[in-house]
Amino acid sequence: MKCLLIASESAEVLFYWTDPEFQQNIQNQYGASQEEGHGLPAFEDSISTLFAPIIISCSTMVDRLGDSYTSFTTENNHVYVLHQFDECLYIAVNGDGEEGEDDLRRKIYVMKKMIEVLFGMVTLSSNLIRRELRPQDTEQRARLWKHLQSLLETYSHLRENDQSFLVEAVERLIHPMLCEQCIEFLEKRLVQQLNSSTERAGEEVLHAFILVHTKLLAFFSSRNASTLATSDLLALIIMTQNMYPSNTDVDDPGPEDVESMSGSGPESFYTPEPSPTDRDSGSSDKPEGVTTPVFEFMDPDIQMAEDSLQTLEGPPPDPSMPRRVFLEISSKEGLYPMMPHSMYCLPLWPGIKLVLLTKIPTNNVASSVYKYLEAFAKLEKRLSEGQEGYAATRGQLTIHDLRSKLDKFIKALGPSDLQSAQLQNAWTEFKNRAFGRGGPGFTKDLIPWCKNMKTQLCSIYRQCFLVDSGPGSVPQRLSPGLQERALTMVQEKLVDWKDFLLVKSKRNITMVSYLEDFPGLIHFICVDRSTGQMIAPSLNITEHASSELGKGPVAHFIKSKVWSFVSRSRDFLRKGYSTITLRDGDFYFCYFLWFENETGYKLEAGDIPILPDDSAPIGMLAWDYYSRKLLRYYSKNHQGEVVKCYELLTVHLGVIPTEIILQHCRQLASKLWEPSRNPLL
Amino acid sequence: VSVMAEQSRRCSYFFLYDASKVTGESDPTRDGICYFYPEETPIDKQELLCGQLAGVGRCVSELSSSPVRFLRLHRNKYAIRMKDDFFWALGCSAEVPTISVCELLDQLINIFCFYNGSVRQSYQMNTRETLAARWARYLSNLQSASSELHHIFSSLKTIDSTNVDPLLLLKAALILQACQRCPLVLAGCVLFRGRVLSTQMSPQLTMKVMVHESETYTKSQRPNGPSSSSSLSAVSSTTVFLTLSELQYLQSPPVDKLSRSHSTPQKDAPPKKTRLSRTLSDMASTESDSSDPGPSQRISFSPWLSDSDNSSFSLAPPQIIADPQSPPPQSPVPPLSNGKNSREAEEALKDSFYQSFHSNGDGDGFIHNNGDSSVFEGNSHFSGGEGDGGTACGNVFDLQGAESHDDEAMVGDGGVGCGRAQGRHKAQQRDLAPCSGAFEYPGESPLVPMTLYLHRVKGLVLALLVEPHFLSDTASMEEVYHSSLASLNGLEAHLRTISSGAPGTPGPYIFAHFDCIQSTLTTNLSGGPGGALEHPFVRATSLLHLHFCNTETLQEAIIRSAGAAVYGTRSVAQETYFQQQGGSLRNSGIPNHQDSAFLLPSKARHRLLKHGVNLL
Repeated sequence: MKCLLIASESAEVLFYWTDPEFQQNIQNQYGASQEEGHGLPAFEDSISTLFAPIIISCSTMVDRLGDSYTSFTTENNHVYVLHQFDECLYIAVNGDGEEGEDDLRRKIYVMKKMIEVLFGMVTLSSNLIRRELRPQDTEQRARLWKHLQSLLETYSHLRENDQSFLVEAVERLIHPMLCEQCIEFLEKRLVQQLNSSTERAGEEVLHAFILVHTKLLAFFSSRNASTLATSDLLALIIMTQNMYPSNTDVDDPGPEDVESMSGSGPESFYTPEPSPTDRDSGSSDKPEGVTTPVFEFMDPDIQMAEDSLQTLEGPPPDPSMPRRVFLEISSKEGLYPMMPHSMYCLPLWPGIKLVLLTKIPTNNVASSVYKYLEAFAKLEKRLSEGQEGYAATRGQLTIHDLRSKLDKFIKALGPSDLQSAQLQNAWTEFKNRAFGRGGPGFTKDLIPWCKNMKTQLCSIYRQCFLVDSGPGSVPQRLSPGLQERALTMVQEKLVDWKDFLLVKSKRNITMVSYLEDFPGLIHFICVDRSTGQMIAPSLNITEHASSELGKGPVAHFIKSKVWSFVSRSRDFLRKGYSTITLRDGDFYFCYFLWFENETGYKLEAGDIPILPDDSAPIGMLAWDYYSRKLLRYYSKNHQGEVVKCYELLTVHLGVIPTEIILQHCRQLASKLWEPSRNPLL
Repeated sequence: VSVMAEQSRRCSYFFLYDASKVTGESDPTRDGICYFYPEETPIDKQELLCGQLAGVGRCVSELSSSPVRFLRLHRNKYAIRMKDDFFWALGCSAEVPTISVCELLDQLINIFCFYNGSVRQSYQMNTRETLAARWARYLSNLQSASSELHHIFSSLKTIDSTNVDPLLLLKAALILQACQRCPLVLAGCVLFRGRVLSTQMSPQLTMKVMVHESETYTKSQRPNGPSSSSSLSAVSSTTVFLTLSELQYLQSPPVDKLSRSHSTPQKDAPPKKTRLSRTLSDMASTESDSSDPGPSQRISFSPWLSDSDNSSFSLAPPQIIADPQSPPPQSPVPPLSNGKNSREAEEALKDSFYQSFHSNGDGDGFIHNNGDSSVFEGNSHFSGGEGDGGTACGNVFDLQGAESHDDEAMVGDGGVGCGRAQGRHKAQQRDLAPCSGAFEYPGESPLVPMTLYLHRVKGLVLALLVEPHFLSDTASMEEVYHSSLASLNGLEAHLRTISSGAPGTPGPYIFAHFDCIQSTLTTNLSGGPGGALEHPFVRATSLLHLHFCNTETLQEAIIRSAGAAVYGTRSVAQETYFQQQGGSLRNSGIPNHQDSAFLLPSKARHRLLKHGVNLL
């Protein structure tokens, strides 16, 4: 019984997702209240009718009390979590006990993040995003919602099964030699070649990375690219997983493979000695990923034939068409959220993908729009706080700067199309009122015109980056031939490694290598929050793949314990506790969070902010708690110093004496991130 | 009202809304408001809160086919009860632990039902104003618990037993024993200055009884009130209403009655509390304290196995009985049987109750005397597990095992700590059991009228639950009165001389020890206001308590913030929290086995021994 709903303040459904049980439940209820003889109304209508009282009550409470609902719990343990972002109300429901309040809130924030990645600054105008999320055309709407629904499902699946999405940090494949080779390859061969090609249509590859399922094999950023935020990278991994889902159960290798692959000494964990070439050539005819959607870049026709069977899907997207994604850029001038990029996801083999992120030629329009939006938002805020005249216009951009720059900007857009004409009109109106003799000047009365300017700027942004140029026009992209060449290059590079990589992604690290040094240790997760990377032994729980934890229920049990301990440690962290040890059943859990400076010197533990229960979820995917809250708070006392933040989580057998457990933790903490042991981490 | 103003308000809103009064479009919302606290709230705000919360509550419960239990806003959180057309909401600030808010609301409603009977009937028979005054009284009474820690655990206020000669506690228990020789007396408790000295009843019932007592006590304490000694030494009585389950525990079958009267008189007296806890914790720690890897230690990976390990704690009573050192601690212990069990028992009981009604054609709603309780004999094995502990506990064990699997799924959700998510033994004992009377029956709850008899000697009160016709039975009344009068006077004289004593300075450590079975709290915290030093401890305790409630398998925890490291440990019968004061906590937070935080468990073990808390 799960559901996620986005509604406008007027109770219009902007998006919904339900699982079959919830849908059934709604239909039963609605069916019961309907008179006989009438067919069931469209599901969207029933869900809207049933939730409408809650939505309306929400806005009443905001209007009249200045407070709003954040959650409901019923006696049969259904949980409802509500969160309002601007004028969009998100409601997430769980009725099967699988998700708690924190999980639901996280889901809401992740949904919002995905919408931001897909729609960029259009989300800043409630008017526009409402229309964007709920297209008039029902077919288009169904397509969009289906896409969002499947993104949400992909995310939920990852959160429930993938440790890196549990702790919201990126997991790298631990194979220093191969990783290094690949990075070099991406840098010296691939990106260089792409960026010097004439077929790139003005685009510039900023980032290139190779994913094996959800794990990162190699990541390269070009020199003039800003760092890709962990939050964005995780969101992109969700998108690629959604495009080319890995069927983890099927392509799991048998136990024999495991043994030969994972080796046994502790070193083998860091640098497993592979000789994949020989082994893989022998087993390359092994059926792989039977049920993974077969997508071959070379044969788009087959794909098309399959897709056209599903009438709802409409015409399949051209696989060589990039996805438009909006990602954060930090440059010298400051932080620009939601800047347009093109994402090319090229499937090398099932489970292995090459992802290219390019800067599009009109990029600078976006940063200008953002600057103007920010200026108008600040002005609006000051005016609504009661400041008037030129006091209200102080800011990074003086009002005269803004005026001349915006004049130029509009001129450069050209008056040819409708959208920029509207912006031009709005700007003229604004200028008349703000600077004109008869106008109100900079007073509260100007607020509606500020709002109007913001809306118009968002429309321009939408026009430039979201709307397809009409049929017939040449789409903006790296040419299909160029993409194909890139794909082939990487395929050639990795063909001998591909089977190894698929196995490795399942057995990145195994507990076996730790048993000797750390008797009694069952599992651990170590996260470097400054780089957003994590390291943890794999937890395989599929029936036929036995791990050190055994198979079936035991492994499941330990997995569920790890999952629940992570959420428990977040509960404590939210309340300001950074060291936690728990004895739970037969296990002893430890959680540590600490700070270091650049040289590895351990900094003294300081106060950690105490957050309310309904604060944004702790993690990095939807909202980066660690950099936005924790490091910012902590760095107050360490100004000018680079502060790094680490987390270690361990699970031991309860019979091990606490002192030994703590020694283990200490060793793990110092060993795992030791540069000599692991050059990539 | 002045009393209310003095203490920090734990509850920011409380209201009872009757939707049956607002059915038409034109009916104003205010018609449905039975009671609203704070009463000075402007009526339109009252209408807004009642209308919106009740409306949204109804909508959500329709969607989920289940009443709303809890509702959260950014600034406030509300425990909710929905029953028929009634809608109760109790709002607290966001810092108060969820579980405590829910417990507070349940207590409030239960107290109301205890003194007034069913809510619907009360509102038919009384004016809103009369009942409003009562709600206000009960609310103020509940809010006046002595410290924040008491609020967190919803614990009983007990006499500080370290200041009291154990002989006096024994004496109090003997008085109660003596009274029970009269067959019309069900059970009782002895209270001194608003605190429990000795009780034979479950903590929930004791708490309800105390409301009446503390009201009369407060009245008598008022300087302008009639303070003549005659008015302070008086017998009074009032009608109260028991739920069937409460009645069942009190009217145990004749077999038990027999063993009860043969048992040592120490039962249920606070001194035994430590005894009981010690025994339980002894046992618990041999099972759970696995830091010592003895050869016989069994490493159990399986969830089922570890669950059964834990549920074997619930076998505690028989083991205690087997302990030759301690007297058989029978029947404190309705709460020991788990909630599920008692609910089933209730079902069965209800059936037989009705059967007996129908077969006797006796519709006056009274159960006349203990002879009648043979009706219940068929259910005797449900009644808390003494005597025939074997079968009863076997039952408990099974249910527990089955339930904990279901609960497992909810363990990690970090969700609202409320409602059935924590259908754990504790919640079942302290939460579901008492409220079942008010909520688990369809239609009007069959509450059974009984009489609360109070005999006051200045600050000392003997409170007895008696059959209603006790009052008309002069012989019995006189017997009870005279058999206890001299003892009460003597006891009062002794207790009066004991200075309530300024609480000692906390010293180098703070601790809190909560006995889940008797719902009593031992702590060296003063409980006074302005304990800035104590705040981190209280905060950590409240958080850990919530986690202990939500996860049955959780046994021990150390949590550390920049300011404080707190150790918490629990067994099935108790929770203990410990913080070392002073000393610098300077550290980097990186794992370090020399870290002082990890020495807390051994320190707690040593330090708390002298407080009678045995964690070994």
